[in-house]
Amino acid sequence: MTRGTTRPPYNPENMKENSHKVVIAKDLEDLIPVFLKNRHKEVDTLRVALASADFEQLRQLGHRMKGVGNSYGFERVSAIGKQIEDGARSGDRTALEESIAGYADFLSRVEVAYE
Amino acid sequence: MSDLAAASRLAASQTAFRVLVVDDDPDMVAFLARILAREGLRVDAEFDGEAALAHIAASPPDLVLLDVLMPGMSGFEVCERIKADPATALIPVVLVTALEDHASRVRGIDTGADDFLSKPVNREELVARVKSLRRLHQTRRELEGRRLAAEIEHKEAIRKTFSRYISPRLADRLIAKSGEAPFDAEAQRINVVALFADLRGFTRLTETFEVGEVVGMLNEYFAVITDAAYRHEGTIFSMAGDCLLVGFNVPFPQPDAALRAWHTAQEMIAGFSPVLSSWVRRGGMSTGVGIGIAAGEAIIGNIGSPHHMSYTIIGDAVNTAARLMQMAKASELLVSGPAYEGIRHAVPAGSVEARGEVALRGRSSATPVYSIRL
Repeated sequence: MTRGTTRPPYNPENMKENSHKVVIAKDLEDLIPVFLKNRHKEVDTLRVALASADFEQLRQLGHRMKGVGNSYGFERVSAIGKQIEDGARSGDRTALEESIAGYADFLSRVEVAYE
Repeated sequence: MSDLAAASRLAASQTAFRVLVVDDDPDMVAFLARILAREGLRVDAEFDGEAALAHIAASPPDLVLLDVLMPGMSGFEVCERIKADPATALIPVVLVTALEDHASRVRGIDTGADDFLSKPVNREELVARVKSLRRLHQTRRELEGRRLAAEIEHKEAIRKTFSRYISPRLADRLIAKSGEAPFDAEAQRINVVALFADLRGFTRLTETFEVGEVVGMLNEYFAVITDAAYRHEGTIFSMAGDCLLVGFNVPFPQPDAALRAWHTAQEMIAGFSPVLSSWVRRGGMSTGVGIGIAAGEAIIGNIGSPHHMSYTIIGDAVNTAARLMQMAKASELLVSGPAYEGIRHAVPAGSVEARGEVALRGRSSATPVYSIRL
């Protein structure tokens, strides 16, 4: 189980080189469109929360991403969720901006395969 | 939610193990429901703590998967409430949480949670945990079933034993109302109707027949007269030799106690008639049942020593009924005045003879006595 604790800090340059292909269990296939739609909405909510410096909401959203992401098989969603939760706890606005940007980038490029 | 519907349909065709998933994240609920439905479980969902508690109260599930961080009531609080209620305390609760710190785990244990599952959820681990709790649940149900069966068997054994001493219907009542204490430890004074029945000429019978035969004949006689007593819910307090003491209005109130005693006496004598005919054919002498009935105060209680107790009645009504029985001829019923007042309307006028005030042995004043030939 990935908790993202050993991953290096988010770096957009590294992300570009990484594959955004995610393999998901076949029996979850029909749930994925709704799952991804909710993640896109989540990016918007994260941006609004950051703009208003609502670190408590950012922490809660990050916590939720951490829990749900890799349950479905989206390891990166859980990893970025942990970064957001940690960033919100420390009030690190720059790190949060980077994490949210990285999340949006990941969602725009992700390719889902089922097996 | 299609997964929930699918799980419900599947559950309808089998003994459903019902899981309640509680999480404020619809994606998490959908994921958990999908995995559990694939295992043939029935899944219901609630999205906050208040709704979960209402659901559990209305329709207790077999297992609760409970998120911890939810708006409003937390999973810890929900778990505490489930475990604090005796009606739901045995429902296993699994906390599904992304909280990793030691303090959160300790808090979870303090709330009474049965198990933990970390988020992100590993589906193999989820299935294994749920299967394990399901096995425990089934084992607990089987044990509970066996315990209930043993309890029913035990009660039946008690009922059978009791039924040898009191009427079977009375035994059922006593067992059904186990909270009642009819056999009070403390003696009490109560109005009773006492009936004594005795086989006239029994001593001579014992001289005529072999011992084995006498025992068989006594059993035939007692079968008839105890059946009559039980049919009218009399309580048999004593059986000695060929004599039987039956009480009415005790231990449970019977407002029609005198009538019950009258019907019992009629059936004792009528029921003994064919038995008597067979005895006469076998060479025995003619005999018959003599009966005494009296109404009045008596003391009821457990009488005896610490080693041997009898639940019995003593007192004036019992003594009077005993004296009347001793005076009664075969197929004759002698009734004291107070008891006769309770049956006067039911007794055929031609069969009664008022004997007037009779001095009974052991009594200071005379007693009005009525003789009824049956």
